[in-house]
Amino acid sequence: MKDLRTIGLFLILFIQAPAGFASAGQLTIAKANKAYADGSYSIAAELYLKVAEEGYASPGLYYNLGNAFFKVNDYARAILWYERAKRLDPGNEDIDYNLNVANTKISDKIEPLPELFYKRWFTSMIRLFPVDAWARICTWLFIAGLAGLVVYLVSRVLILRKAGFWGAIILFFLSLFTFLFAWSGYRDTASTSEAIIFTPTITVKSSPDESSTDLFVLHEGTKVRLLDNIGSWYEIRIANGSVGWLPKTSLEKI
Amino acid sequence: MVKSLVFTLVTFLCLITSGGYAQEPRLTVSARQAVAVGETFTLVYTLNAQGSNFRGPAIQGFDVISGPSTSTSSSIRSVNGSTTMTITYTYTYLLQANREGSFDIPAASVTVNGKQVTSNTFTIKVTKGNAPGGGQTQLQSGQGRGGGQAGAAAGGTNDVYVKAFASNSNPLQGEGIVVTYKIFTKVPIAQINISKLSSFSGFWSQNLMKENDKLQQTTQIIDGEQYVVADIRKIALFPLKSGRLVIDPLELNCVAQVRRQTRTKTGDPFFDDFFNDSFFSSGIANVEKNLKSNPVIINVQPLPEAGRPADFSGAVGSFTFRAEVDKSRLKSNEALNLKCTVSGRGNIQLIDKMNVSFPPDFETYDPKVTSDIQTAASGISGSQVFEYLMIPRKPGKFTIKPITFSYFDLDKKRYVSLASTEFTLEVEKGTGEPGAMLTYSGANKEDIKYIGSDIRHIREGDLKLMIAGSRFIFSPLFWLMLVVPLALFLLFFGLWRKLAARRSDTVLMKNLKATKVARKRLRSAEEFRKAGRQDDFYVAISQALWGYLSDKFTIPLSELSMDSVHEALVRKNVAEAIIQQFIETLKNTEFSRFAPGEKDISMERTYNEALEIIAKIERELR
Repeated sequence: MKDLRTIGLFLILFIQAPAGFASAGQLTIAKANKAYADGSYSIAAELYLKVAEEGYASPGLYYNLGNAFFKVNDYARAILWYERAKRLDPGNEDIDYNLNVANTKISDKIEPLPELFYKRWFTSMIRLFPVDAWARICTWLFIAGLAGLVVYLVSRVLILRKAGFWGAIILFFLSLFTFLFAWSGYRDTASTSEAIIFTPTITVKSSPDESSTDLFVLHEGTKVRLLDNIGSWYEIRIANGSVGWLPKTSLEKI
Repeated sequence: MVKSLVFTLVTFLCLITSGGYAQEPRLTVSARQAVAVGETFTLVYTLNAQGSNFRGPAIQGFDVISGPSTSTSSSIRSVNGSTTMTITYTYTYLLQANREGSFDIPAASVTVNGKQVTSNTFTIKVTKGNAPGGGQTQLQSGQGRGGGQAGAAAGGTNDVYVKAFASNSNPLQGEGIVVTYKIFTKVPIAQINISKLSSFSGFWSQNLMKENDKLQQTTQIIDGEQYVVADIRKIALFPLKSGRLVIDPLELNCVAQVRRQTRTKTGDPFFDDFFNDSFFSSGIANVEKNLKSNPVIINVQPLPEAGRPADFSGAVGSFTFRAEVDKSRLKSNEALNLKCTVSGRGNIQLIDKMNVSFPPDFETYDPKVTSDIQTAASGISGSQVFEYLMIPRKPGKFTIKPITFSYFDLDKKRYVSLASTEFTLEVEKGTGEPGAMLTYSGANKEDIKYIGSDIRHIREGDLKLMIAGSRFIFSPLFWLMLVVPLALFLLFFGLWRKLAARRSDTVLMKNLKATKVARKRLRSAEEFRKAGRQDDFYVAISQALWGYLSDKFTIPLSELSMDSVHEALVRKNVAEAIIQQFIETLKNTEFSRFAPGEKDISMERTYNEALEIIAKIERELR
């Protein structure tokens, strides 16, 4: 009994752990928030950036950074940081809204390819929570399932035993599903790479070679997906499905 | 040889005979051989006979300002009784050279006594012009060569010229400058017509002189020559952009009154004096002149970036600002007037709107702008009044935020922001409310008006900072949180299984030992019977039966009684017949205990019954 309690305490401590530290960063953020409120957006951006460069991450921090860049009309950087914030917290409405506003400010308007309905549903389901939240839900559901099994084994009351057994099965299934959501969210963001164009105007080439045919022109702030890289070139795909090559220096990875 | 000699003689004789009464008619051209670009000069054809039907040359490369004008002079000479009369016809052109180069003047012709006389051709070289006001005086040109008469004309460039002056050629953007066009003349001029005004591109301009103002004349000595100077145009200019701006030249034409200095060289003092008398020779020629001013280059400095207020819209000068509303309490649907007045000196007419943020539910109209501008020679001052009419459509309490006006102060060299007070308006429900009349039409609903769009505000408070790149999923902790509970569960499961096994073992043992225990009890009952201890006998029998039942069917003793035994056995799926017999035996045991009669016999029977039923159950369960 005593063992169980220590384990529980241990688990709770671990779950709560990330929220507790980094107070030095918090101090800088408070300063940056004040600068932002006073309208000194470039100072606010600098301060937020300092916190980010110190190795801290948070969707809120990235979102604020995007806002600060937006206010100094640096839309490419604003989009970059909004996208980074979105990776950490894909379902956040504020991030989506501001990203949309920023996207109306850039030159390229790309009509994205429509997705199949079940894919859309799946994506919207995944985006309900951040990847890590899904993962956490998954572990807790798994633990709850195990607890159900324990109830099934221990209880002498028939109803409790039944509830424990079926509950455990349902919980294990849910845990499996949430794991799938977490995993595919993880695959979408962490392992595939996207980038934002940082050159005011750049011509997309047909092959990784300066002398190859010009395919189309992209402008600052447009998001591209990176497919491949050869030497100092990336193969990129834009939202409407067009593919081409861009020099690495013109892009900043999200 | 002889033939040619004869020809010469004949010719000579002929000359003598004809020379007696008439000269050979000749048309000669004369002009200066070199002129400068922009210079005006005369081209004179002289005919020493009475001619008619003068056909002038096709003059190319020059502007013909006037001509051909014809003049005649005659002289009668009487030498020793023989009188000679000389007639001279002159045809005069006034030309202006307009480009560099060498130009041929083709031959002209005239008819004399039915015969056509052709002139010689003439070449004029035009050199690069010297700027007006250069100080050179070239008054008379084309001193007559042939006949002696020369039409003196409005000569050199510097008799009359126009010059533009800027009061400041390095103004700030929006700073007013005054450009003055002055005419300098040594000859009387009349009818000044501006043929081409400068286009002040890049400037906002305001004429500082009225059209019919009389020209103010002054005299001025330039390079020792006395000029009459008059301002012909005075314009206030406000640069709208920074950089190098060029005001292109103003062009005008005027009529210069040129004294024609006719000289008759007759060699006769009397005639000379007579004809050179002022009365005769004071013929004043009206010469039309085209004048062009110099272009003016203005280098406009941009306004400083530092400290530029957000609402700055280009006002430069020194201004005061006032805003007022005509009432602060009113009823809905009543009109309200907001009056903003900007007054001062500077580019006041360029202030075209105020930064007024109206309450969103107000109906507003474009402002009525009234300008009261005074133009003086020194610049522009005055006031600009903006009257905004607005009608609140809904009752409530509204505020109009302070109206701000910013300008660049030229004296202090910095931006100045002026602000009005904040206006609070209390709007009561008016009688003419449409909603009040349309009582049954439902609420007066409106769509939300979007006044602007912006990104949402930053997130404040705890941002829950993490270490960048740290993720919970697939982290060791994640796996730990899956594996540790699973391991704990398996451990628990194992323990539970062991425990359950041990517990089920005791049940089995009881089950197995049940018969043995029962037999043992029955044996002790047999001994009690033999010893004649009747009470102990029945207790032993009863214990044997109940104990057997409890152990065999794993029913706690506490749950067993005479009333519940049937139920308990049914639950354990014991056959009904056995249950009945068992209960019968139990009852008999209880009954026999207290029944009268032979104790020995009844005890023996009870003992046998008990043995029988236990054996029967054993058989049944096997």
